[in-house]
Amino acid sequence: MPTISPNAIVAQGAQLAGDVVVGSFSYIGPQVTLSSGCIIENNVSITGRTTLGPRNHVFPMAVIGASQDGCDAQTECVTGEDNCIREHVTIYGGVGAPTRLGSDILIMIDSHVGGGAVIGDHCIFANCSHVACEAVVEDYVRTSGFAAIDRGVRVGAYSFIGGFTGIDRDAPPFAMLLGFPYRVRGVNTQNLKRCGFCDDDIQALKDAFREIFNGQCEGPNEQAIARMLAETNLNPRIRRLIDAIQAGERRRRQ
Amino acid sequence: MTDLTVLREVAPSARLAAGVRISEFCVVGPNVTIGPDTILGRRCSIAGNVTIGSSNVFNEGCVLGSLPQDLKYRGGGTLLVIGHRNKFGRKVTAHIGTEFGGSLTRIGNDNVLRDGCHVAHDCYVDNHTYMGEKVLLAGHVRVHDGAVIESLAGCHHFTTIGKYARIGPRTPVRRDVPPYVNFYCEDVDHSPPAVHGVHESGISMARLGALAEKELRRALSELFDDESALQTKIEQLVNMGVEGEVADLCEFCQRSLRGVFGRYRETFRGQMPPEAAEFLPPELR
Repeated sequence: MPTISPNAIVAQGAQLAGDVVVGSFSYIGPQVTLSSGCIIENNVSITGRTTLGPRNHVFPMAVIGASQDGCDAQTECVTGEDNCIREHVTIYGGVGAPTRLGSDILIMIDSHVGGGAVIGDHCIFANCSHVACEAVVEDYVRTSGFAAIDRGVRVGAYSFIGGFTGIDRDAPPFAMLLGFPYRVRGVNTQNLKRCGFCDDDIQALKDAFREIFNGQCEGPNEQAIARMLAETNLNPRIRRLIDAIQAGERRRRQ
Repeated sequence: MTDLTVLREVAPSARLAAGVRISEFCVVGPNVTIGPDTILGRRCSIAGNVTIGSSNVFNEGCVLGSLPQDLKYRGGGTLLVIGHRNKFGRKVTAHIGTEFGGSLTRIGNDNVLRDGCHVAHDCYVDNHTYMGEKVLLAGHVRVHDGAVIESLAGCHHFTTIGKYARIGPRTPVRRDVPPYVNFYCEDVDHSPPAVHGVHESGISMARLGALAEKELRRALSELFDDESALQTKIEQLVNMGVEGEVADLCEFCQRSLRGVFGRYRETFRGQMPPEAAEFLPPELR
């Protein structure tokens, strides 16, 4: 039997695994599924067609699966395992395409994830980070306080988004992104080391970043990219970087 | 009609003094102590080892004493201590300390924290400070007496805010801010913040006396009108035999220069900070 506080409201139809804990004054909607090991603290509201994976920890005052315009019946939200959703976080459900969160994500206080956003695994969002609706955030992305990701934008894996930075267009993987409009300020070496990249890969990425971005805000250096693509045995990490840049450019022109 | 006035959950072992008012939908955990005449607004949640002094006001949705947002945190008997007569706006959050950072988060007396402020693990906020809406203090930050932090400013972990300093709105604070100065960025998106003269209302609030204030102003202008060669200028001042506030200012700046990226407290990473001796209960030292 799940442990449900007498002051909590769990609507009929909600599916709760046996060891779920629901705190006081929380509301669990009728189409919500909570997998085993989920801890829902007090004053949380989970509505819409929301499925929380195993061992998600939701802190007080968080709102998950709500709709942006108030009709929760249509919205959908799915999360993976071991996520930590802190106080006052709002995660809206998507209409049509669900809001998808991967696994092992930490979303810190007062952050926001818009409807239909897709977030990869192992991401960390610092306080007051905003991911607008339909944005895509790949694995291992970390943000600093007040970072904002615009609607429909894609942020590449392993990137770091600095404090107060606004991501207004697609951002490459492996990068340090700062300012608004953001500039690529080099390779996110710390995070790459932490994620087990070897020194050769990091050095190759550093060299590639220097050539492609060169501290400019206008956009990547097309000639440098063409030169690298012509190389035989191109480092797969650099290939991934170039693919992401080119996909971003294509989307921007559309 | 449902009687909403009974909807609150206070653990039987929570120690509440006389005159404490707990509004609807509040949750108060078992290891919480609340001093006389403190008011909790609706939907406040207090868990963990929290001690709150007298006559504080917490508005709706404050969450106090929950787990630190630090990945190294693995549990432990750490504390959040809040003094007297503080005013907390809506949705203010403050966390307990971590064992490797001094085990204590402390907020002093007579502070004002407006809506959405966040005081992270192991912070020390002194007395009479003001924080505007959504001010974020990262872990291990020290805010000295009378500092003013305007809305949406964010302080990097291990920074120190000097007494009576002012941080402008939406300022990313990445290094220590000296006392009595006005600190903000001219272009938030592409230039780092810097010292821009004296914080006038701060220096008058400090009531230093005419002579001391004049000397302090001279020192501040000498050091920060042009921040180049700060180290040499401080050494010159110290060699002249300054005392009082100017000596404190010189010491503050020298410590920051000794630290990592201009952050003095970074030198206490992973160990007890110097404040612990003063504020931490003896059994935790």
